[in-house]
Amino acid sequence: MFQFLIDTLVRTSDLALVALGLSLVYGLVKFPNIAHVQYAMLGAYLSYFFQAAGVPMALAILLSCCAVGALTLVLHLLVFRRLLRSGPAITMIGSLALAMLMVAFTLGLFGSFPLMFKLPLTAPLQIGEVRIGHTQLYALATTVLLLVLFSALLFYTSTGRAMRALSCNRALAAASGLNAENITRLVNFSSGALAALGGSMLAMTSGAHVNLGYDMLLPVFAAAILGGLGNPLGAVAGAFLIALTETVVTNLNFGWLLGKPVAFLPVAYISAASFLILLLALLFKPYGLFDREVRRV
Amino acid sequence: MFDFLIFSLTIAGIYAIMALGLNLQAGYAGLLNFGHIAFAGIGAYATGILTAAGYPALVGACVGVLVAVVLGWCIARLGRQLGADYWGIATLAIAEILRTVATNEDWLTGGAQGISAIAFPLGNLPRPWGALGFLALVLALLWVLALASQRLGDGRFGRALRLMREEPKLAACMGYDLRALKSRAIMAGAATTAIAGSLYAHYMSFVGPDYMLASETFMLWTMLMIGGMGNTVGVITGVLLVQAAYCLVPFAKDSLHFGSDIAGALRIGLIGLILLLSLLWRSQGLIPEKLRKIQ
Repeated sequence: MFQFLIDTLVRTSDLALVALGLSLVYGLVKFPNIAHVQYAMLGAYLSYFFQAAGVPMALAILLSCCAVGALTLVLHLLVFRRLLRSGPAITMIGSLALAMLMVAFTLGLFGSFPLMFKLPLTAPLQIGEVRIGHTQLYALATTVLLLVLFSALLFYTSTGRAMRALSCNRALAAASGLNAENITRLVNFSSGALAALGGSMLAMTSGAHVNLGYDMLLPVFAAAILGGLGNPLGAVAGAFLIALTETVVTNLNFGWLLGKPVAFLPVAYISAASFLILLLALLFKPYGLFDREVRRV
Repeated sequence: MFDFLIFSLTIAGIYAIMALGLNLQAGYAGLLNFGHIAFAGIGAYATGILTAAGYPALVGACVGVLVAVVLGWCIARLGRQLGADYWGIATLAIAEILRTVATNEDWLTGGAQGISAIAFPLGNLPRPWGALGFLALVLALLWVLALASQRLGDGRFGRALRLMREEPKLAACMGYDLRALKSRAIMAGAATTAIAGSLYAHYMSFVGPDYMLASETFMLWTMLMIGGMGNTVGVITGVLLVQAAYCLVPFAKDSLHFGSDIAGALRIGLIGLILLLSLLWRSQGLIPEKLRKIQ
């Protein structure tokens, strides 16, 4: 039972930071950025690159976060701001093109073989009946710490209040004298850095590979939509829900339904489970589970 | 070389039919369908399954078209209350679910191995003539479908779709049923694309889950965005350009001695770069759609 909970939490921490960044940026620029999951992939490769160059692991991740954050900012200023003038649909297709370029770049530079970090081998921790790897534990702790810090930023500082005001009503926030451009830049930088961190921590267990971004695309979008795009903490809750479903689907023994002692769903259907939640969410709660606004159609 | 040229042209023709199907939805009606390749996959699988069961090729194609139209109707129903970008993500999810099902249901689709040895319709002709005949068949179908799509686009239906894309509220005020317009556009696009999928399965003598990769849909979008959405000539121009870029990659690989990873990267990167540049500097495409202005 505890193992089940830990598995869920580990998977949540894989998705949460990336989904959080996606949702945060959507609140300000109002288009779903398909390239966002590729920032996680780039972050993983950059961390690998720095670590292989001899930088200690934590510093390597920090450097990669800053680099990817800067890249996100540059892309926002040079590409997305220009595309947004032609509307969100065009921008979404533009982000698709950027995602393809990033994949092509990494594929050409690093090849298609997954690159494993050189980490010291350690036996997994055993607490009671629960097993968890050291890297997974660190990743989980980092995610929790960052989420706490981020919520504090969002709810107890003036910058956080400005972010919420901007994502709620841009015109009104601008009219009250908020510097929208500065805050958008800050949010873009931090969303890229968060994605890079999420990707790097995921890559510590699975290795940095080219499909890291694409594999995350639909679960991350499902999480962000479940939480309501533009609601960052909702995205974290969405990530937990997705992780819970995936873990239930893999661990549930529904042999009693078929009259067999053991019957599990094929592992390949795990990803389909999160897409199915996405579809159900879109059908019944298209603006997220935590949507309290009344909309006129 | 001659064989390669025929092969490239045939594939370009098949992709052009798929792109025409997407153009009905994305170009005329402005719908963000990111799961378009699912329709082609259904056409291909229907052909594969039914011809393997011994039915004639025409039955396979017809069933594929029917199933694709039904799926199109369901997707349109799903989109009733969603914003355009949310709907785009939903279509992406549907295509991925279908691909997962196709990969795992071995009894129906042959799983990851797919279905091979689908009969090539003109396979009993001597060597260059079979491929040439198939190319002629593809081009004839493309011609018919392009004409039909042009007529549809210029006629009452196409004008209603354009009005819905540009001014949805005005269209609703004029008495158009927007939901019905959307579903009809999607169903028409689905039927066209399923035909192309069926042709592809026959030409390759194979169908597998890789036909439904999301990157295929993105490639169709690239073709549309480069050539010009909502314009039949533009769509075909875009298909030819992208296909030409794709065909150059193997030559570059051989003459510059790349590995296969770099060749793959070159292929994706080239498409991404062209798409991005055309979006930044010419978001209407090379041959833009002509819109009549109301004075």
